Amino acid sequence: MSVFMDLNLNYTTDKSRMRSLIETAAHLGFSTVAINHVFEPTAKKKQEIPSPTLIKELIDELPAVQGRSRPIRVLNRLTVVMSDSSHFRPNAAEYRGFDLLAVQPTTEKLFHAACMLYEVDIICVSVTEKLPFFFKRAPVNGAVGRGVVFEVSYSAAIRDSTRRRYTIANAVSLMESCRGKNVILSSAAEKPLEIRGPYDITNLGLLFGLSDADAKDAVSTTCRSVVLHAETRKLASGIIYTMKSCTESSSLQGAPPADTGEAPAAKRAKPHLT
Amino acid sequence: MCPSCAVCLNCACPKLFLTAPFLVGRYLLCEVIVPDRRHLLLLDDRAVAASVREAVARVHGDYGAALCSSRFSGYRSINWAPTVLSLSSVKYLNAHTGIVFLRFPKRCYKLLWSALPFITSIEARGQSIACFLNCLHVGGTIRTCQKFLIRYNTQQLHRMLPKCKNEEEKQQVKKSILKCTLTKGNRKGLDFPSDDDED
Repeated sequence: MSVFMDLNLNYTTDKSRMRSLIETAAHLGFSTVAINHVFEPTAKKKQEIPSPTLIKELIDELPAVQGRSRPIRVLNRLTVVMSDSSHFRPNAAEYRGFDLLAVQPTTEKLFHAACMLYEVDIICVSVTEKLPFFFKRAPVNGAVGRGVVFEVSYSAAIRDSTRRRYTIANAVSLMESCRGKNVILSSAAEKPLEIRGPYDITNLGLLFGLSDADAKDAVSTTCRSVVLHAETRKLASGIIYTMKSCTESSSLQGAPPADTGEAPAAKRAKPHLT
Repeated sequence: MCPSCAVCLNCACPKLFLTAPFLVGRYLLCEVIVPDRRHLLLLDDRAVAASVREAVARVHGDYGAALCSSRFSGYRSINWAPTVLSLSSVKYLNAHTGIVFLRFPKRCYKLLWSALPFITSIEARGQSIACFLNCLHVGGTIRTCQKFLIRYNTQQLHRMLPKCKNEEEKQQVKKSILKCTLTKGNRKGLDFPSDDDED
């Protein structure tokens, strides 16, 4: 039985809607979801980065996942829509509250920088407009080597017909350059009626040009590797692991420090992750 | 029971037809998920079939619409009374639980299945019910889908058990769990209380 994850549920301030979103996701069989805060900084004003929601405030008792006995796991995620390189400040203190970091580049230079340099987990491919740049093999392969994944979200396609065309166009061109690896499919759902079940999303992946195995991976294995990548990113130099509940930090041996220039072995997305 | 018709008849269909390659199909077991359970009771199979066909036409155009309506004809009108058969792709609908069996031809079922996530509402009895379809299982025959459905409903009953508000409901749920079997000749041997606690 694979573990299915939906790593993009849009955050709204309406708590009951978030609650029903999470309950629907649990009913459909997703073991892990991530609540996404989208942050779009404009050049003029200085805006604050939204703070992550405490899961306990949002929902008292997490519902059990369909087909399993464990409750659903809810993570926090931040997406920074970048139109300028100053928008994403690496190692900013505010990012530490989030479990997953994502970036949505809007220009080719930013895309290249995000693939090769930035410490992010996910690079979002925009679905609401025709991509102004093409995907080149070099940065895409660099991202794949580092363990960064590309994300395509499908709920815009469900809402609107023109967005459907953009989604499919952008997704197909992405699949061509990355050959179907390191891709995740997720809903950017705002209402509980916009989520779809994992097998339906797998089938949507076939529409985007993925093979059968790649499409299923896009909902299960690759998502799991993203979550693990995010966890290792939080480790300081890959060695120290601070637990939130304990006061001391316990050290994890075995991983070389990240500042030697090579990513630790745990960071790279492997095809078979146990 | 002939796997290609929705009703249990004493078919005069010779065994030859059952093994014919063009008769195979894929049966999709789907669940209609609505925010308000009372809207489920308004559903009927024609409404679901119409919305499936409309979604396929919307997403895949004329090609999809043609694939959806390709049915084996010809010998049927000779052997069966045409009024009994429905040529739509909805083979079974349970309005209480929202379970639907859809039938697609085998060579193109993935394409037609990919149009199902784009269904956002179903028009039934003049009202538009906002909902979506969640595919639970794909089987080659209705019987395999039924077997899966029995297991799935048993799981749902188990999920309902901790949510029961009083002892009487608990006893009802427990009895239903014990009664879950696939009996010969019946469509489903499962009979569970239409509880409002069911999620």
